[in-house]
Amino acid sequence: MTPAQHLPSPGRGPGRRSVLTALGAAGTGAALAACGGPGSGSGGATAAPDPGGDVSGTVNFYHWRSEDKAVLEELAAEFSAQHDGVTLEQTIDPSEQYQSTAAQKARDGEIGDVLTAFRGTQLDQFADLGIFTDMSDVPYLEDYQGDLIGPGQYEGTQLGLPYQLVFNMPLLNIDLAEKAGVSEVPGDWDAYLDLLDKLAGSGVTPIAWPGNDPASAFQIINSLVMNNGPDAEMFAKIESGQYRATDDWWITCLTQFQELSGYFQDNFSGSGIDGVLSLFTQEKAAILPTGSYQIGQVRSAGAEFALDLSPVMTNAAGEEPTYEGIFNSTFILGVNSQAKNPEGAAAWIEFLSDPVHAAAYGDGTTQHVTVKDVEYENPDLQALAPWQTRNTLLAPRFQFIDLDIRSAVENSLVAVATGTSPEQAAEEAQALVEEKL
Amino acid sequence: MVYVWFVLWPTVQAFQFSITDWDGLSADFSWVGLENYRTLITGDSVFARAVGNSLAFMLVVVIGQTILSLALAVALLRSTRISIALRALFFFPTVLSSVAVAFIWSFVYDPTFGLANRLLLAVGLGSWQQPWLGDQQMAIYYLALVQIWFHAGQMMVVYIAGLQQIPQELYDAAALDGAGRWQKFRHLTFPLVQPATVIVVAYTTIQSFKAFDLIIASTGGGPNHATEILATLIYDSAFRNFEMGYAAAQSVIFMVIIAAITLLQRRAVSLASGGSNR
Repeated sequence: MTPAQHLPSPGRGPGRRSVLTALGAAGTGAALAACGGPGSGSGGATAAPDPGGDVSGTVNFYHWRSEDKAVLEELAAEFSAQHDGVTLEQTIDPSEQYQSTAAQKARDGEIGDVLTAFRGTQLDQFADLGIFTDMSDVPYLEDYQGDLIGPGQYEGTQLGLPYQLVFNMPLLNIDLAEKAGVSEVPGDWDAYLDLLDKLAGSGVTPIAWPGNDPASAFQIINSLVMNNGPDAEMFAKIESGQYRATDDWWITCLTQFQELSGYFQDNFSGSGIDGVLSLFTQEKAAILPTGSYQIGQVRSAGAEFALDLSPVMTNAAGEEPTYEGIFNSTFILGVNSQAKNPEGAAAWIEFLSDPVHAAAYGDGTTQHVTVKDVEYENPDLQALAPWQTRNTLLAPRFQFIDLDIRSAVENSLVAVATGTSPEQAAEEAQALVEEKL
Repeated sequence: MVYVWFVLWPTVQAFQFSITDWDGLSADFSWVGLENYRTLITGDSVFARAVGNSLAFMLVVVIGQTILSLALAVALLRSTRISIALRALFFFPTVLSSVAVAFIWSFVYDPTFGLANRLLLAVGLGSWQQPWLGDQQMAIYYLALVQIWFHAGQMMVVYIAGLQQIPQELYDAAALDGAGRWQKFRHLTFPLVQPATVIVVAYTTIQSFKAFDLIIASTGGGPNHATEILATLIYDSAFRNFEMGYAAAQSVIFMVIIAAITLLQRRAVSLASGGSNR
């Protein structure tokens, strides 16, 4: 057989077989969008069951934190000991997957008697689909700090209980700062730049920025805007069209971020979180601009230096800042309205709400919790505990509901850090925002 | 019946969803006519960028992988111990999962601790160090190199099978006529290996459009959509933004693009075949 015998005859247009072959190949693309059909409707939130009923069987806890698995297993063993015959099983999806598929998986109650939600978009989605029950009247609500569980509310109804208290602010290696001659965490923009200059002069990278890991890289946006934004709802108002990415306050943020980027490690735009964590834990970099949720990883890597939170303070020297820092409360616990074991679900959340058990969870995961009267044993949690009562702003980054708009605004930071002017980056971001409005 | 059920019906259903504003989860949706298409074509610059990236990625991968796999096949055609060992070495990446490949290469490309920048430093080319996957102009091409590395060994095997079909007598006759190595390759090997080239180009085109998992695991489409391809954008629209109707419209346009490329390829092959017969 010659090579030409494998081929169609020349000089003819596409035949029926060609067209069918092309359609066959193309159908795979179409199949992606056709993998489901309109689902069943949602209703209003039903009331969550009160704990104390007849608890038995298996309780399924659906969440995204695989790093908490061991701690939760220990707590589950204690829970089983308290409620004879009850077993708690965990179903864990990676966070990206959880965000995209949790509602679909949990809505029929096959998994997730108790399940969790991210603050913002996902909680809204659960609410719209009627997945979470109404926890406004559950007795263990009293165990939580009232000012921290607001993100678990939807249209005035307490649909879930944010369990983790996170501070989305840069971590500062205090030992390196002191070696560089700085003894106080900076309280204004000039002091911040002074710290960075001194750190650079001492031979370390001042800030290790994970420019190629959006989830971590853009945490810095929170403290960057907290004292530059015209009000606490600045990103929600960009999304509603009331504010624009070309407004002076955002251009100020971009200008200051461009200045900060001069203190990042080389080739920062390609760095992932693993690389910058290594720089930070090896004390080659002094600031990790992500958040308190990474302290556990820093300690696991063997770092023993003293730590504090160091938000980007953009206020002028002598000017009183509106906010001292940023917090977020997330990992919102809720009872599935279709739970196969609603009594068990209520009992598990009540169990986690106990200050002793919440402390065990906090110490085991190096995360603060929103439960009242918790006494931590972990030294980092103890050291950062004062932040729980300081004047902090609920992380504005999560005000964005449309992820394309969030991405457009956040990416303007990358643009200025890699050489675009703040004005041009702001215009490009606003153009993308307007496409979505 | 199977074809109707598994190919035509999903295609029709995708079009059906594409004229709605369905979010992918709730029962409520409205018919919006061709609004999703109008937005995509006239008012979505990220979509336009994803189309451009997809085509650029495909072009680089098809050209690069075809040349590299043919070169490897020619170099390793003879069955010596060394060439057999090298064939196995080049084929090895094929057995890895694309997520593992993405993981490995994200370490290679890490600008601080990665192999690529360290090698450049070691050979005295420290000034050439790059952010690699953070470079908004070049990141898509660096990922194309990974895709080429990933599948070149597999395509090499196709070419070796094609090369083994060429009678040795033809090369002997060409040698008697005084043909050098390059002339033998240009006038004998290259034309006679054309059936294998057809397979390699078609397969590579399909693979490049299916690079979704490699890109999601390496960059997630970033930075700033620099590595966004149609498949990753459709995933984001459908499963992160919960705009299933919009994602379906993107899928339908994706389908049209693939169909057009497939038909163009077949047309090009037809023309090439006609030329070789004259």
